Amino acid sequence: MRNPRTGWLLLSPTLIILLLFGFAPFLYVLFVGFNQWNVFSADDGLVFNGLDNFRRLVFDDDFLHSVGLTARFAIFAIGSEIVLGFVLAQMLTRNFPGKSLFRIIHTLPLMVAPIAVGAIWRLLVIPGFGPVPFFLDRWFDLKYQIGSYPDQALWTSVIMDVWHWTPFVTLTMLAGLSAIPKEPVEQAKVDGASRFQVFWYVTLPFLRPVLLTTVFIRIMDAIRTVDEVWMLAGGGPGTRFTGIYIWRVVFPRTDYGYGSSISLITLYLTIVLCWLLFIAISGRRKGEVA
Amino acid sequence: MTISLRQRAWRLFVTYGFWIFTTIVTLLPIWWMFVVSMRSRVELFGRPNLSLSRFFVENYANVLTDSAFQRYMTNSVVVSTSNALLVMALALLATYALSRYKLTGRDNIFFWLITNRMAPPAAFLLPLYIMFTRTFRLGDWTLYDTQIGLILLYCVFNLPFAIWLLKGVIDGIPIELDDAAMIDGAGLWGVLRHVIIPLAAPGLAVTGILSWVFAWNEYLFAANLTSVQARTITTGLAEFVTVTGTNWGELAAMSMLTLIPSAIIVILAQRYIVMGLTFGAVKE
Amino acid sequence: MQERQEQQEKKEIGGFLPFYTNAFDRVFISVVILIGIHLLWLRFMEAALPIEVATVISLVIGYFVVRRG
Repeated sequence: MRNPRTGWLLLSPTLIILLLFGFAPFLYVLFVGFNQWNVFSADDGLVFNGLDNFRRLVFDDDFLHSVGLTARFAIFAIGSEIVLGFVLAQMLTRNFPGKSLFRIIHTLPLMVAPIAVGAIWRLLVIPGFGPVPFFLDRWFDLKYQIGSYPDQALWTSVIMDVWHWTPFVTLTMLAGLSAIPKEPVEQAKVDGASRFQVFWYVTLPFLRPVLLTTVFIRIMDAIRTVDEVWMLAGGGPGTRFTGIYIWRVVFPRTDYGYGSSISLITLYLTIVLCWLLFIAISGRRKGEVA
Repeated sequence: MTISLRQRAWRLFVTYGFWIFTTIVTLLPIWWMFVVSMRSRVELFGRPNLSLSRFFVENYANVLTDSAFQRYMTNSVVVSTSNALLVMALALLATYALSRYKLTGRDNIFFWLITNRMAPPAAFLLPLYIMFTRTFRLGDWTLYDTQIGLILLYCVFNLPFAIWLLKGVIDGIPIELDDAAMIDGAGLWGVLRHVIIPLAAPGLAVTGILSWVFAWNEYLFAANLTSVQARTITTGLAEFVTVTGTNWGELAAMSMLTLIPSAIIVILAQRYIVMGLTFGAVKE
Repeated sequence: MQERQEQQEKKEIGGFLPFYTNAFDRVFISVVILIGIHLLWLRFMEAALPIEVATVISLVIGYFVVRRG
């Protein structure tokens, strides 16, 4: 009754679009990654140079630094988003008057375009007329200037990301929490479990798939973040994440070959990380009931 | 368990305190943008003032009467709406196939589909640019600077997300319902129309909304693969920073205007968002 | 039909990797390992040994993963 051929037919439009606009550019990037191609150099064609790009890449301190920064950014931002999102979702499972209004307001940042998020936060922190540096200086005597202090720039982007994406985590968590059956929780309470025990042994295992999926999606998007951080800090120190580093190599320097190989390695790291999470989500670990 | 009145009052107090605090944190940046959009160039500098002194609508008037802005807005509406519809349709078919048919290596196909969202956009712009200007052409017509080009391209990052979202929803619909409908003589379209679509409606709605928002908000591709005719609103936003020597007031006004359509859609669809975002958590 | 399905399941169980895999997965893992070894080799070992050694090592590992994983 279910002929696989029909299945493939249903899948084919999706596959065609993704092959044309996703996979074909990938093959091209793969090809260029093994070539030297600098539009402004003496001979401006593609010159095959084998592994040279990668040889340069593994010793490129700027690149390695950008990977470290991206990792720190992703860990801090996603970690806080998960915790905050969970707490907020937990608060939303109770009923109180005005709940949906608060929820709508809380969802708003998710709808702001990343480029506008960058603009908003830049307006907040720009020295001269942003309120954040002004009040920090006034109340805490703290010099705050993201252009000069890399750490402050990094923290500002983390906070910005948390502001922008926590609502998404809240919504997925809320969906996950409302799907948890009532009986096990009640049973555990009757058996005298503490609140923490209920959370750790009942809620968390039920939430695991949602949690991992959310982390997966956030990792995927955090690593490729470019526009909002670019808008915020203009690629200044402390915010040179991998995505922005690639941007700087490809555009102002027009070093396409090298830029392509960096993209390949970034893609490689993302895929490996996400694949491990994917295995964890699909519950294919041995010794576990799938 | 009896809770005394005092305890209940205290709990309510904590809840509201918490939410009012969250609301302030959430709204503060947006409020500041609004304040900036209501100020003239001169008023911006000096001591930062978080309160709204007067309604200065000139920024909005300037933006709204700009013919470029109107074109960008139309483009954005057309592109994101068609993209969302296309993504919903394709993702529904694809997910149905992945969920119901025994396809060789379907887990692997599924994972590959998702990897399409991971590509760092900067380096992929170049091949896309070449494809858009040279590879896909009919005579003089190319995909470059067309709405259809953007619509198709946005599928690359929206489809993986949509399929993932819908996978959980459709896996959660018992296959017996399909079988029952088929025994009653329904064909594939019948099953989709009378079983899958009604049951997956919240999920489909969320898919559509989020795809719409992602497409509406996209910047990098739109900025580099269009020039005049198909520019979208986010690109116009960024133009303020570079071309006009950063006119913050108008930039803020335009950001506010960009936010309004997506905010309206989300407020209207609020109910479905939580119902649909389950990612397969309701399997059992 | 049933028998074939059981066979399929059996094929997915064996091996030393800590999760169930099919042929695609194992090829994928081998490629991931291959790239990883090459990059680390370029960074730390190339001064001493040429890159071809890395290729040979990763092909051997890849073979084991695909056959036994």
